[in-house]
Amino acid sequence: MHGHVEREFKITWGMVIDLDKCTGCGACMTACQVENNIAPMLDASNKLRTLSWLLVFEMSNKKAAPDAEIAYLPRPCMQCGNPACVPVCPVVATDKNEEGGIVSQIYPRCIGCRYCMAACPYHARYFNWEDPIFPKGMEKALSPNTSTRPRGVVEKCNFCHTRFVQAKDKARQTGGNPDALPDGAYMPACAEVCPTGAISFGDLKNPEHKVHELAKGKNAFRLLEKLELHPQVYYVSKREWVRKLGDNYAATGKPGAEKKHS
Amino acid sequence: MDRALFPDGVERCSFGKFALWMVFILAFFLFGLYAMLLIFAKGIVVTGLDNYFGFGLWITFDLAVIALGAGAFFTGLLKYILKIDQLKNIINLTVIVGFICYSGAMLVLTMDIGQPIRAWFGYWHPNVHSMLTEVIFCITCYCLVLVIEFVPLVLEQKQLNKIPFLHHLAHNMHVNMALFAGIGAFLSTFHQGSLGGMYGVLIGRPYALREGFFIWPWTFFLFVLSAVGCGPIFTVLVCTFMEKLTGRKLVDFKTKALMGKIAGTMLTVYIFFKILDTWAWANNYLPSTGMTFDQMFYGIIYGKWLMFTEIILCGVVPAIMLITPSIRNNPTMLYTAGILDCIGISLNRYLFTVQTIAIPLLPFDSWHTYAPNWAEWATSGMIVAYGFLVMSLSYRYLPVFPQERGMNR
Amino acid sequence: MGLDRRGFVKFVVGGVAGTLFTPVIWQGLDDAATWSQNWGWIPRLNKGEVKATSALSKLCPTGCAVKVKTVGGLPFAAVGNTENPMSKGGVCPVCAAGAQLMYSPARVKSPMKKVGEGKYEPIKWEDAEAMLVEKLTPLKGQDGKIAAISGDETGSANEVLSAMLAGLGSGGGFHVMPGEMFTATKGVKLMGGNGQPGFDIEGADLVLMIGADALDSWGPTVANQKAFGATRPTGADATAQFIYAGPVLNNTASVCDKFLAVPPTATTAFSLALANQLISAGAVCPASDFGDYKALAAKFTPEEFEKATGLKSEVLKDLVAKIKAAKAPLVIAGASFGQGAGALDFVAGASLNVLLGRVGQKGGMTLLSAAPKAIASAADRENAKDAASFLAQVATGKATPAVLLVYEANPAYALPQAGDMAKAMGNIGFKVSFSTYMDETAAMADLILPAPHPYERFDDAMNPYGVAKPTYLAGKPVIAKPVMDVKDPVDVMLAAAGKLGLSLGFETYADVIKAKAKALGADFDALAAGGIWNGELKGGALSLGAGALAKAAPVKLDGKTVALAPVSKLAYGTDNLATPPANLLVVRDSELLGKDLLVQMNAATAKTLGVTEGNKIKLTAGDGEVKALVHVNEGVAAGTVAMLMGFGRSAWDQFTKGKGDNVYKILTVSDEAGTGLKVWAGSTVTVAKI
Repeated sequence: MHGHVEREFKITWGMVIDLDKCTGCGACMTACQVENNIAPMLDASNKLRTLSWLLVFEMSNKKAAPDAEIAYLPRPCMQCGNPACVPVCPVVATDKNEEGGIVSQIYPRCIGCRYCMAACPYHARYFNWEDPIFPKGMEKALSPNTSTRPRGVVEKCNFCHTRFVQAKDKARQTGGNPDALPDGAYMPACAEVCPTGAISFGDLKNPEHKVHELAKGKNAFRLLEKLELHPQVYYVSKREWVRKLGDNYAATGKPGAEKKHS
Repeated sequence: MDRALFPDGVERCSFGKFALWMVFILAFFLFGLYAMLLIFAKGIVVTGLDNYFGFGLWITFDLAVIALGAGAFFTGLLKYILKIDQLKNIINLTVIVGFICYSGAMLVLTMDIGQPIRAWFGYWHPNVHSMLTEVIFCITCYCLVLVIEFVPLVLEQKQLNKIPFLHHLAHNMHVNMALFAGIGAFLSTFHQGSLGGMYGVLIGRPYALREGFFIWPWTFFLFVLSAVGCGPIFTVLVCTFMEKLTGRKLVDFKTKALMGKIAGTMLTVYIFFKILDTWAWANNYLPSTGMTFDQMFYGIIYGKWLMFTEIILCGVVPAIMLITPSIRNNPTMLYTAGILDCIGISLNRYLFTVQTIAIPLLPFDSWHTYAPNWAEWATSGMIVAYGFLVMSLSYRYLPVFPQERGMNR
Repeated sequence: MGLDRRGFVKFVVGGVAGTLFTPVIWQGLDDAATWSQNWGWIPRLNKGEVKATSALSKLCPTGCAVKVKTVGGLPFAAVGNTENPMSKGGVCPVCAAGAQLMYSPARVKSPMKKVGEGKYEPIKWEDAEAMLVEKLTPLKGQDGKIAAISGDETGSANEVLSAMLAGLGSGGGFHVMPGEMFTATKGVKLMGGNGQPGFDIEGADLVLMIGADALDSWGPTVANQKAFGATRPTGADATAQFIYAGPVLNNTASVCDKFLAVPPTATTAFSLALANQLISAGAVCPASDFGDYKALAAKFTPEEFEKATGLKSEVLKDLVAKIKAAKAPLVIAGASFGQGAGALDFVAGASLNVLLGRVGQKGGMTLLSAAPKAIASAADRENAKDAASFLAQVATGKATPAVLLVYEANPAYALPQAGDMAKAMGNIGFKVSFSTYMDETAAMADLILPAPHPYERFDDAMNPYGVAKPTYLAGKPVIAKPVMDVKDPVDVMLAAAGKLGLSLGFETYADVIKAKAKALGADFDALAAGGIWNGELKGGALSLGAGALAKAAPVKLDGKTVALAPVSKLAYGTDNLATPPANLLVVRDSELLGKDLLVQMNAATAKTLGVTEGNKIKLTAGDGEVKALVHVNEGVAAGTVAMLMGFGRSAWDQFTKGKGDNVYKILTVSDEAGTGLKVWAGSTVTVAKI
């Protein structure tokens, strides 16, 4: 599309998030913040200025009491197969070029133009408004897995990429195959911490990984599928209203409807 | 006291009055400068931009001034390449306006990016797929071209021109001006188009996205056409504003009306295609994403009235006014049409910048609104003040208007 | 000087090239870019070997069995312990923030003594300990002069604390914060049983939670969430149904198959109406009081049910059908915010388990008998007295302690009518707070003795509330030396007791815990390595509690008042822990906006109260009032206002202080008919626009 050739990868890391299991407890957001060294914010209620690599949205069926229902939707970076953000970056600070299909973000390269933010319909990209200043002493609890970023650059979830590198290293050291990691050998912090096991993670192309089948389930869907960005994050819900809220279906009213043309 | 510096044979106000005017403008400039330094020191957290609106007033401002500054390359093209000689009466002004617009836009861009120290990465690590890379390349290059076009005018200043080296330099630059005009036209066409492409390629943003033919060449040419449809008339408006301010005649109305005719023709072509484009988008592309025309708008702040104002009131109306000789030849009507035209194109840039990203695409997300804060207004105001300063100095000391001497005799 | 065309071109090209050949520009640009990556004020990462060490993270009320990841010996993250059968690799949102909490700005950095209103001075440990002994010495042997409040439900520290008080002659002075464990244990007694109730969610195929927020803040949250998760494998059919009946569509309700919006004032009515329908549908049970129970339940007709809950009676029929179809239904009763419900709400809910014959069954309700003690003279857990009643006595002069020891509790903040409670505490001459953080209670203590963070101490957890079978966890420090100048409170108390001539047989808390493990027949080292000890269930029968339930008095609401439903979300902190810095992001902007808390109510309630979205309102009850904004939320039961707990902190740190308001201020205490307990779960409030 538009001269940008979608690259195929042999390994495609992906998530399948079971929305019927997500209680919205927030452990994933906390684990993400800890793993990725996001400094606490004085006013974290100003959601227009926070850094939430992983954000748990609240969805509502918009019905009045007592028929109201809600669901929680954790939104990491979708690591799109056809990312909107990558081709627009003027300085190649973000790329989707490594086996595994994770959309990278190179902080020392980023000039902070925010074009990628404008491009991403999932709001998965965040501008680092302020320097990461931790309360005195708390820098001793920094995770060694993610470098601290100066203000003025765009950041986002990278499926805890360092863990991917570590898993491959471990496989090499223990005689395993770094290009065929077993299911569970590489897990992002959010998937690891989730107390209900709502987040499954693995190689979507590897039949030995659970997500391979889960992503094809009849209740599986992706956000804004009609935009054809091909996210590598899938959601699952048995509730039809939840699945409907995954995309805009004004044209047909039905989820899963074919794109009319183009 | 600075009479010796004036261009030959023209009158200027007293130095005291001029100084007072400069102080007045400087106040705005310095206030903006303060905001700019604050932004460099603390980062753009001091602005009204946020996680939903990464682009805001600044980008709108940049796109608008780049469109309005298009008078420079287009008039240059017509004068030097297509040899429409009458345009010599206003060509200097178009160059100065273009220079102000482009240099101002570049200054705003350095504030707008989060890491201004890395601004040059656009050259060092370019992503050839990015429209923004093309924009960065072209506007910096074209800004250099504008400097080259502006320099001989400066060198023609009465006292400077007495220095033989500078005199020859200016002369040689003039001799080669057609070459620069050509380069300018080439660069400008590209980046004006790419600015449209910047939004047109946003595959995740249905308000802006155009697919296939509608992106190339369609959107590219829409942006080029819209820029040349307002740039020339903007120069006329600047000129007329200067005339009102100074009380002196600077360019004859015939030239102005010619500029109006040029802009009007371009605007007419543009608005015809723009309407086709909008119709195709609303009826074909949008439904394919499952969205409706109504979903693109929200309340008053992002209401449909904006699009209708842009296309009808500030598009179709000025286009008709400018291509109809009887209306165009009435000064009041010409200026009114010009103002509408410029508002329409600026509004277009605003909508592509802000409305595009305001639309919540996730069905469970809600609309957020954006209002620029004082820091963005102050810095944008600084660029306007900078324009006034450059223009005031140029008017006072440089031979900008070849007709001035004759018309005010 | 002349300049021809060639000269001009030479000049331009030469000038440009010359400039570009100097390294100044390029080197300068490069240096600047490098500098922009290495700003000195941005913290650098720590280097060293990365390890994971087992720990018992008692930051949440139950305590999570975690692995603490360290880099060069410095903890940076807590991950689940997959080998521990309680947490099974899961971590609660509070324990997930554990490493950063070690360096929380709210931590008490050294012992401090009060030198004026709100003014403290750091002192040396030896002086602090001497001061404690000095204050206790004259009170030795005087009954009722030393009191203690413990906010730790499960630790053996309570044994030391209560035994010490008994040894000093103030045996009745030991109190606990009134959590779910406290009321449920009293409830079991009212049902003729003994022990702590447990709930086997793992084995049930239908879990009806009445009030109990079991998947977020009630009981062993992570174990419950794991059990829930196991019943719904992604992409396959669920093997158990979960139903939530409570005042708010909370985190638990969001994933339940069915949510029934029951106002907090109608919990007992809901349970008994359900009992009535079950009996009508043929449920019988051999309990001796079945006849009385049946007669009592019969009063809760579908019409009464509709009136009390605002729900249609069809939902009850539907529920009965589901329960009848289930093989192993389980009812979990509890206050929606984990306290204050009194025993009757519990009895009414638990009686359904008796009625359905689910007590002592797999997937049913269990009874955990008292565990062996490490210190024989310690108080028995089931005979615990609650701090709310105690402070009420202090307020009226019925109790006159001279010294109050507060261990891991925050009574100044987290008791109903918080204002009155704090005032009552003011009547006590000398208050000692053993606390890790500068909480509201520490902020009014005369002596603050900083306690270690969980990664810096030995601790244990015996039968966390809700577990289905006897359970014991223990942990030891993760890091060699605490990051602040702290001492283990138990060690301090044992030393003080020694100086007062009282020997409890132990010198350190570690020894107490090892003795406890031994008494259970558990291996301490295996426990500290992340293991668990599980005991056998002894069985035990329960009545339906008809006698107690007969005394239940219905709550009356008039047009002006609405029921208050405090909402607890574990991620936002606990009574003893203000929202951790790493959890601030989790709080929604529909819950907290700047410094304003948003209270939630449905559109119908808002209309009745004459308020709309965003209105600033005042909620009053008794002497207490809180201010908040209105947020219309259709997930709140009829005639109910929901308000988050854990906000309105007056101490702590810059991240939490002064944000929102404290719901405890408007929870009003009343006496529960027939049980002698204090209750505040059915509190009502008046709402006024300001």
